[in-house]
Amino acid sequence: MAHAIWSGAINFGLVTIPVKLFTAVKTDDLSFNLLHKTDEGRIKYERVCSVDGKPVPWDEIVKGYEYEKGQYVLLTDDDFAKVNPEATQSVDIVEFVELDKISPMFFDKPYYLEPTKQGRHAYALLREALAESNRVAIARVVIRTKEYIAAVKPIDGALVLELMHWANEIVASDTLELPDNEKLPEKEMQMARMLIDTMSVDEFEPEKFTNKYRDELLTMIEARAEGKELPKAKKAPARSKVVNLMDVLAKSLEESKSRRTAASAGNGKPAAAKRRKKTAA
Amino acid sequence: MSSKERSTLSVGARTLSLSNLDKVLWPRDGYTKGDLIAYFRSVAPPAIAHLKDRPLTVQRYPNGIDGETFFEKQMPRGMPEWVERVTVPTPGGSRSEVTFPLCNDEPSLVYFANLAAIVLHVWTSCVPALDEPEFVLFDLDPGEKCTLKTLATVTLSIRDLLAEIGLKPLVKTTGGFGLHVVVPLAAGYSYETAKVFAEIVARHAAAGLGDLATLQRTIAKRPQTAVYIDYVQVGLGKTIVAPYSVRARDGAPVSTPLHWAEVEAFARRRSGVAPADEFAKLTIRTTPARVAREGDLWGPKSWKKQRLEGPSAKANRLWRERG
Repeated sequence: MAHAIWSGAINFGLVTIPVKLFTAVKTDDLSFNLLHKTDEGRIKYERVCSVDGKPVPWDEIVKGYEYEKGQYVLLTDDDFAKVNPEATQSVDIVEFVELDKISPMFFDKPYYLEPTKQGRHAYALLREALAESNRVAIARVVIRTKEYIAAVKPIDGALVLELMHWANEIVASDTLELPDNEKLPEKEMQMARMLIDTMSVDEFEPEKFTNKYRDELLTMIEARAEGKELPKAKKAPARSKVVNLMDVLAKSLEESKSRRTAASAGNGKPAAAKRRKKTAA
Repeated sequence: MSSKERSTLSVGARTLSLSNLDKVLWPRDGYTKGDLIAYFRSVAPPAIAHLKDRPLTVQRYPNGIDGETFFEKQMPRGMPEWVERVTVPTPGGSRSEVTFPLCNDEPSLVYFANLAAIVLHVWTSCVPALDEPEFVLFDLDPGEKCTLKTLATVTLSIRDLLAEIGLKPLVKTTGGFGLHVVVPLAAGYSYETAKVFAEIVARHAAAGLGDLATLQRTIAKRPQTAVYIDYVQVGLGKTIVAPYSVRARDGAPVSTPLHWAEVEAFARRRSGVAPADEFAKLTIRTTPARVAREGDLWGPKSWKKQRLEGPSAKANRLWRERG
């Protein structure tokens, strides 16, 4: 596995389990550099002062909090150090709760926890006990200089530390205009249920879903890097293309025809739209 | 009337409450929301003929053409109950269905104008057969340095190809820089058919036009002097700027049906003239008189619903060998 990004310990009660923290989710976005179109020079960002218009060196830069429009409180690195939480290198378990008592909205980013040699036994104990009780641990964690709330859950033999959002970061949904469900006709509900049933699968298989945009972009980039001619947006000879299209058209006309026959025989309505003069809701 | 004042207007059987009629929507022309409403009323019968029963998406400019704009991709909140509407299932969308307004009468048209709905986009099909296109569409979009002459030449070439296989297309300005060419269709064709047919014509036309036309979808790769022939703008949920819709550009240009003779005259113009120079003459000021004089050039007399079987067979015979 890759490098641990942090090593410390899980503490609960009198037990300490030395662990390392590993990334569990990596983002897969392609990243691009910005270049000058004409000479491919990299685009540089310069920190420029809005008052004198001149570039500012890092040692003249401080952070300011805008407490009122145009009014700032200035803070230095020392100021931040004073309030930084102690870098305890620990996952301090505060309480245990059943997993489904936590709204999934609170979970932000998962990390794997791996025990060091000395911690293996206690790690296994905590994992099994959590799994058996169907509970997760809620803990306070300090990573670098930031404090987080996190859940420790057993997933597939590993303990996973999942960073959570603070309560004040969750936006309430009560500002949205949502329909109530009082008068839903049973018939429509039945249809909705049927639709769900027919589209249901036994297992969620994330491998089925691929990021097509990324894949195509990557294919294009790789081809260009190798200097290959790209699959041009249909630059095939006009003749063969037209010939193929003619066949497609003939087939499509044939289908339209049979559809028309079916519709006039009363087997199907051409469109599924309902027209209403008044709002239903 | 002060700009914040509301006023009432009787249109047909309805009484509408209108607001801010003095609000300037075209700041460099001084045209107000009141002017927009007056324009739509003056062209109401032909405009409504082309809006009727088509799901409508309006593009609103509450603070004028320089301000923020938004597409109303469903019926606006608070729409009066007498404005007709249609609910369309949206498989794969974030909601299971969406209700679109239908602009089926003059009061509805005035209602939308009062919302500063400058641009009226309609589906390419109409209720109840929303899965059948009403026409084959060629959206002819001139590049930045393309002349009116080139645009007209390309447009006429498409007309002539269509005529060669027995079809009678119609033409209108988009209200922007381009032209729309449509072949009205008989009932029962699928979007797929309309699209494939359009592609065949577009490819054949482009092959014969050399540098004058392009099928390149990426804007940056199109030659700026050429006309982009866009043949994919017909489909379920796809929209087209309706005839007599206004555009949010200086001068308040209008999407106006044309005589083919007018396009022929464009093709004879000297090369210095840009499409915008000519189309800028068709505005909310000039179109009402033109319509009164010429009638609706896309009206029932010229809107002949056509079948594709014969023309397709003919195209197959004529164009397959020539390539």
